[in-house]
Amino acid sequence: MMSLFAQVPVSTPEIQWFYLAPILILALGGVLLITLTSVAPVMRGRHISALFTVATGVLALAFLPFIAARLDGLVDPVAGQGGRPAVDLVSSALVVDHFTLWVSGLISVAVILVAVMLDGYLEREGFESPEWYALLLISASGGVILASAEDLIVTFLGLEILSIAVYVLAALHLRRSESQEAGFKYFILGALSSAIFLYGIAMVYGATGSTTLTGVAGSMTGRNAAGLSPAVDSSLVMVGIALMLIGFGFKVSAFPLHIWTPDVYQGSPTPIVGFMTSAVKVAAFGGMMRVFLVGFGGTFASDWRVLVLFMAGFTILFGSFLAIVQTNIKRTMAFSSIAHAGFMLVGLYAAASPVAIGDTGKRAVLFYLLAYTFMSIGTFAVISIVGKKGDGNHSIEAYRGLAKREPLLAMAFTVLLFGQVGAPFTAGFFAKFRVIAAAAQVERTEAYILAGVAMLGAAVGAYLYLRVVVAMFLDVQESPSTEMADSADETLALVEVRALEVPPATLAVVLLAAVVTLVLGIFPDIGSGALAEAALALVR
Amino acid sequence: MMSSALLAIQSTNPIALTPNELWVINTFFYVIAAVGIVAALKMVTTKNVVHAALYLLVVLTVVAATYIVLGAEFAAATQVMVYIGAVMVLLLFGVMLTRAKIGDDGDLDYDSKWIGGLSAVSMFAVMGYSLWEAFGTDELPADMAVQRTGQVANSIFSQYIVPFEALSMLLLAALIGAVVVARRD
Amino acid sequence: MIPALAQSSVLAAQTAFPILPALIITPLLSAVAILLVPSHRQSEVRLVALAGSTITGAMAVWMMAAFDKTEAGFQFVVNEPWLTSMGLNWHFAVDGISLFMIVLTGILFPIAILAAVPQHDSKAYHAWIMVLMAGSMGVFMALDLLLFFVFFEVVLIPMYFLIGGWGHGRRIYAALKFFIYTMAGSALMLVGIVSLAFLTASRTGNALTFDVTQLAEAQALGTTAQRLIFLTFALAFAVKVPIFPLHTWLPDAHTEAPTAGSVILAGVMLKLGTYGYIRFGVYLFPQAAYDLAWIFLTLGVVGILYAAVVATMQKDLKRLVAYSSVAHLGFIVLGIFTLNTQGLTGSVFQMVAHGVSTGALFIMVGWVYERRHTRQIAELGGLQKPAPIFAAAFTLVMLSSIGLPGLNGFTGEFLILLGGFQAARWWTVFAVLGVILAALYLLWAYQRVFHGTPTGDNIDMPELKASEGLVLLPLLVLIVFMGVYPKPMLERIEPSIERLVAHVEANVDGFIEPGPVQVPERPSDAVTLTEALEEAEKKAAREEGEVEDSVDEEGREASLAEGETTK
Repeated sequence: MMSLFAQVPVSTPEIQWFYLAPILILALGGVLLITLTSVAPVMRGRHISALFTVATGVLALAFLPFIAARLDGLVDPVAGQGGRPAVDLVSSALVVDHFTLWVSGLISVAVILVAVMLDGYLEREGFESPEWYALLLISASGGVILASAEDLIVTFLGLEILSIAVYVLAALHLRRSESQEAGFKYFILGALSSAIFLYGIAMVYGATGSTTLTGVAGSMTGRNAAGLSPAVDSSLVMVGIALMLIGFGFKVSAFPLHIWTPDVYQGSPTPIVGFMTSAVKVAAFGGMMRVFLVGFGGTFASDWRVLVLFMAGFTILFGSFLAIVQTNIKRTMAFSSIAHAGFMLVGLYAAASPVAIGDTGKRAVLFYLLAYTFMSIGTFAVISIVGKKGDGNHSIEAYRGLAKREPLLAMAFTVLLFGQVGAPFTAGFFAKFRVIAAAAQVERTEAYILAGVAMLGAAVGAYLYLRVVVAMFLDVQESPSTEMADSADETLALVEVRALEVPPATLAVVLLAAVVTLVLGIFPDIGSGALAEAALALVR
Repeated sequence: MMSSALLAIQSTNPIALTPNELWVINTFFYVIAAVGIVAALKMVTTKNVVHAALYLLVVLTVVAATYIVLGAEFAAATQVMVYIGAVMVLLLFGVMLTRAKIGDDGDLDYDSKWIGGLSAVSMFAVMGYSLWEAFGTDELPADMAVQRTGQVANSIFSQYIVPFEALSMLLLAALIGAVVVARRD
Repeated sequence: MIPALAQSSVLAAQTAFPILPALIITPLLSAVAILLVPSHRQSEVRLVALAGSTITGAMAVWMMAAFDKTEAGFQFVVNEPWLTSMGLNWHFAVDGISLFMIVLTGILFPIAILAAVPQHDSKAYHAWIMVLMAGSMGVFMALDLLLFFVFFEVVLIPMYFLIGGWGHGRRIYAALKFFIYTMAGSALMLVGIVSLAFLTASRTGNALTFDVTQLAEAQALGTTAQRLIFLTFALAFAVKVPIFPLHTWLPDAHTEAPTAGSVILAGVMLKLGTYGYIRFGVYLFPQAAYDLAWIFLTLGVVGILYAAVVATMQKDLKRLVAYSSVAHLGFIVLGIFTLNTQGLTGSVFQMVAHGVSTGALFIMVGWVYERRHTRQIAELGGLQKPAPIFAAAFTLVMLSSIGLPGLNGFTGEFLILLGGFQAARWWTVFAVLGVILAALYLLWAYQRVFHGTPTGDNIDMPELKASEGLVLLPLLVLIVFMGVYPKPMLERIEPSIERLVAHVEANVDGFIEPGPVQVPERPSDAVTLTEALEEAEKKAAREEGEVEDSVDEEGREASLAEGETTK
């Protein structure tokens, strides 16, 4: 026993706190919020929690340009993969590069916007709870950890922090049994997918003897004549990769792991759904890109990208076609978010291409995430407003005549919906364009087919958004004589819509999202410098 | 490749095993593995909630025993303390405190169990095959290393400090979540 | 007036004023201005829309005057970077092919606005029309492939709202059908566009570009790739034109759309498809267009005959006009895929002519509906008695649609048939049948609606109002002018078409204009062509008497009526 204590002192790793700022701010913000509200009753005011969360998000965001500047100023980047500036932190557990910054930025923005709309939501629903915001911040910190993880164990933990908090958030509308059910369902299926993901990590570790991405990548270089990698056992690695793909596929709701999405979206509190479609998707795709492109990007890319190809195609088709028969807007948007995930997978497929053009694919996914973050948050902010007290007014019929009652809201919502269609001069168009371009650049028959399938899915999917637009604009002038039976319902709907309360802050979120959607659609060059840097950081 | 895979935490103090000892270890492993499989199957097929919890306890114990076979005493001890000691007790408490039926419950069934069973079996087949193909003929090295608790502690606070801290955040999130969800207002 | 302008073009030359962006921005700004008008002042909304569209139209006409007719290439070029990392540019320019499309857009929009007053939501209605105008302008001048696609798609949105919001009957169904159909058709075109750009870039080793001229000059694709990509483009355009059998959205959309929507749809938006075939299909993929021409020739001819037969059976006047559009566009497609100067020039001319005459037809059908609240041919009858001037104007427009010599419909059709006989004789023989059928169904419809003794409400059919006459007048003048004196138009279209045909010749193996089945010597150039045309018109000049009559009558009555109102 003595020998144990006689050992040399533990050499704790050196920590460059500055680079860790976004993670620390978000995580400590959450902890601090829960602590302060527990000890100081003054802090329990509703707006104070929201303000605190927004401030935390803004602070995290404010650090990013400085970190970027510091990164660019590095004379000798520690982990400069392919010469790109990057910093390895805390014995290769985390890496901070421009990719991390891009993802952190999007997650911070999502936190800010969701916190703002959550404020109005909680006030309406009569909740007085700082824990919503604390969980939001903790979840966001998990997302940033996930996207910057350099070690598969950290990846897993980041994924779990991100998820656990969201499971709880999904169930947090305590007066709605649907919400509880959604949280429970999400939790059970999520736990299963996490277990599968962990299996995958174990397999990869078993084959390569390393859990760090660079270690994994290092042991996977080259192939022998039989098509097998000399250093690792191919089938073990492939199974491991496939299992991890399942884990990530669940989080981004890709086919065939999308089944949970409509139920969970329908039941969860609407602002939280906004968080799921933005921050959770961004983080999951961030982690997925880093693990798959950096870790498995070498020899095995040509194997797993086939899986991604099929996943992408079926995800888009399922998302687009199943959305048509929905009558609940949250379910509709759930299918739409599935379809969007499919588009991003197309980008990932292209990013994994062996040619030196994967860059276009990476940029496509990153831009898509940017566009979709704003579009989906704005969309769910509108849905949250229209949901009314009780968060249950979600049939597409509820949107009848919205244009008459709330013209500004309806106009912004129209922009957001057309953005999701991929209509020209919206961010959604360039998101789709970049993805399709990336697929075309692969110059393979299956990539062209995938691009074609994706565009057809987009055209079919247009119908689901237009149905909502139709409800908002076109039904309002229905003359009473057309159908007597309908007119009673219609008046009722109009009366209901009139009773809509629109919190100014939430409206501001919607308008901001709409404006960003338009601006990115007209001036797509904005931010392309950062985008290019972020994509280049993921060197295979 | 093998040794590097299994022994990420390098031991400074390898223990040499004789073939005889290896045989004993292997036999022990097969016995506990069989027990574990049977218990796991019973756990999901029994219609009595309390029985299911007790079978789960057996499974967790088998996992702890497997850790010992692999020379990971610390992990085994943690497994016993945390899962068998704490989690299981909590689970049984939960079963008793909620109005779950203690005896046999005929309704405790699941329509899609065949699909679930099929996917479980196929996943087992795929993973089993790939593991068998990778390690099927390998044997444990004669100079099998035993990891020391001290080394675990050291690596937690040096190389794995970030996972360690992240884990605490994870637990915090779970804790907040548990409190909030359990509270009724 | 136009020849005078043509002569003054020397003065205008190429000015520094960015006329093309202005043509897009002016309507957009007026859309914004419309939104800013307080909603209770409906009349001012109309005024703003009218002013914006008229200014835009005037600029388009001015541009036509400043257009250098000796130059076959692109003029008024604007080229600014857009998305640099993907090689996208704001690249606008016009040549003889797009020039008249833009002018047509500029003229039709103010008329469409004047022709009908929306039943409700005047603000939104006019704002959408102005957005539509901006989009239509953009499509015809975009020379960056992706920019073209963007405008091509963006026009769907205002049109969708116009049909869905201010249409008749099953308008929501029609609007959705229109949107989904066209969107699905063009979905694959985006894949085609990016594939073309990336393949060209990787074959030539040049930087990625979506510039149409550069892509057309490069011609870097293999046969299969070129054909496949051409087909993705062709599908999108075929839905838009629409080519049989993809036309089913059109009768619904046309019938349910409000009058202005129908006018713009027929006059401008259908031309996006045919314009696309010329500018992008033939220019970018000459070999594929040549190899696959038989498909489009066949579908074009089938469309002509099918639409003519179906039109004969229509009970709804507006639906009949819609089907006549399908037939006319079949002619245009036929002309395009002859791939010779006559056929292509005729197609471009016919695109404008069809825009003018069908636009006028839709306006007048809209007025019939306004007056009688029905478009069912069976419920109308004998309208000539109570409204002779109306009937006279309708006759003129209808005759131009039939293709009566001396009116604008004839010139285009004649050139198309001329080109067709050289390049694709047997197809053309069948197409001629279409001309006869067109006369049949239009005259028969005219007979049922206007002749006979009026009964019921038809007795009180109100006469053409002076204001309405003024709205219609520019179109009537154009119908006659383009028929009698097409030279100013043809001499601007032809150089660009010849340049295009030369491009096709240079890039297609074994192709010598004007076509594979042909006389060895090609009729050399503009002079012969125009002369041939004038020759043909002189022959037909005798038949013009009655037509001239009706014009005169119309103009006289209009001025009379005007006098009355001033009293």
